[in-house]
Amino acid sequence: MENLLIEFLSNTGFALADYRNIIMILVGITIIYLGVAKQYEPLLLVPIGFGMLIGNIPVIKDFGLGIYESGSFLNYVYYGVTHDIYPPLIFLGIGALTDFSTMLARPVLMLLGAAAQIGIFTTFLGALAIGFPPNEAASIGIIGGADGPTAIFLTAMLAPRLIGPIAVAAYSYMALVPVIQPPIMRLLTTRKERLIRMEEPREVSKKEKIIFPIVGFLLCCFLAPAALPLLGMLFFGNLLKECVVVERLAKTARTSLIDIVTILLGVTVGASTQADVFLTRQSIGIFALGAFSFAIATAAGVIFAKIMNLFLRKKINPLIGAAGVSAVPNSARVVQMVGQKEDPTNFLLMHAMAPNISGVIGSAIAAAILWSFMSL
Amino acid sequence: MFGFEAIIAHDGLGISVIGISIVFVSLILLSFAVSRIHKLIELWDKKYTSYQRVKKTQQKDQKTPSVSDLAIPQDVQRASRQFKLLIEWIGEPFPLPKLLDLSGKCGLSRPHSTVNELLKCELIIPDENGYYVWNKQLEEKRSST
Repeated sequence: MENLLIEFLSNTGFALADYRNIIMILVGITIIYLGVAKQYEPLLLVPIGFGMLIGNIPVIKDFGLGIYESGSFLNYVYYGVTHDIYPPLIFLGIGALTDFSTMLARPVLMLLGAAAQIGIFTTFLGALAIGFPPNEAASIGIIGGADGPTAIFLTAMLAPRLIGPIAVAAYSYMALVPVIQPPIMRLLTTRKERLIRMEEPREVSKKEKIIFPIVGFLLCCFLAPAALPLLGMLFFGNLLKECVVVERLAKTARTSLIDIVTILLGVTVGASTQADVFLTRQSIGIFALGAFSFAIATAAGVIFAKIMNLFLRKKINPLIGAAGVSAVPNSARVVQMVGQKEDPTNFLLMHAMAPNISGVIGSAIAAAILWSFMSL
Repeated sequence: MFGFEAIIAHDGLGISVIGISIVFVSLILLSFAVSRIHKLIELWDKKYTSYQRVKKTQQKDQKTPSVSDLAIPQDVQRASRQFKLLIEWIGEPFPLPKLLDLSGKCGLSRPHSTVNELLKCELIIPDENGYYVWNKQLEEKRSST
């Protein structure tokens, strides 16, 4: 009886835990705190944070409990991450949620979404320079796209063992947009530039909104076929929304479906950050490069907006360039916030949504390109 | 391998330059296509409207029989002049029962049958408000041929 008790006690989490588990549990609690108390992307950070707690409860090896043990519940759910099922489904929901009107009204602003992707390729070079192999460097670079599903999609293809740190870095930086972006935006613009008012976008007809997802899908996927799973779902979701006749499907995509997938994705990504695979020097490198990537993407968007102003008759507020990173709609909200600090009557949100949405398309294309190059 | 050496060894510069160029080209093409969509829709709508107008006119032309096609019996032609005078007296637009009543009082022969013939050959046409009017255009056409 005594032996049984000793055996049981030696198999509890208290006995199996080491300091790394404790660190990861503290990180998980911090992430939950950021989501709940600070409300930084709560829909993502709360499931990820709790997933970290789940993943870092020390369990007996080969007991069929851990996320990396085949046959465990978590392992089954994690299948959707490792086999790129969840990211396209999230894109379907994003498509069904997004109104492309502002982008359709002023398509030139789409270039800002392209400019922000410079961050991805700069970080790719940086990661290569510090010794990461090309496939891992590409996965790290995509953090600069500030798009969690795209980062997971590419990492699952190129460097599955880095999904945990890359997904956590991508979502953390997406959540920290209001902290990271404003100083860069202010540093790169003058007060006069921040005060620029943009003219009201024209009204976009229903026909345009219905035609756009079809044209957009065909054009983007003919150019970068590897973007098919992400952009196919994004544009399909948007067509469901705009064509009105399938409102039930659109509603499911933008509510129940995206919510279910977000829960599964968040919890499993969080649980994949087991201390022994997450707390490595590489993860620190990934976080550092992710922050660099994000900063470069923001700066590239703002600088490109300033360059565009040299040629445009109707000037644009360069702050909206920062929304080229595809953290929808967080970075557009940050643009609005920074703009209104200078002039409370200047409303930049709707203008910032154009580069913000094109950033989603741009980062998916960038991921497709990197995937194609790495598979060659 | 580290630093620039690693970048060169893995063709990092080439991948980055081509990658960012493809992203730009894709979004430039998309933005160009998007900027054309509303113009194409406008053009299509304009074309469609004019096509509809032409089609409507053609249908109207087909519907309106040519004057030569109108086989108006001689007696109805004669009666039409009398009915026209009555209509001028009543004033346009006029209610059909009033015309029939007046024509009976004036002693015109077979007023119901004659009015029916005038309606058939569209010398009397409805004004879409429940009243009728004399078709002056058709009369002018008929008299000019």
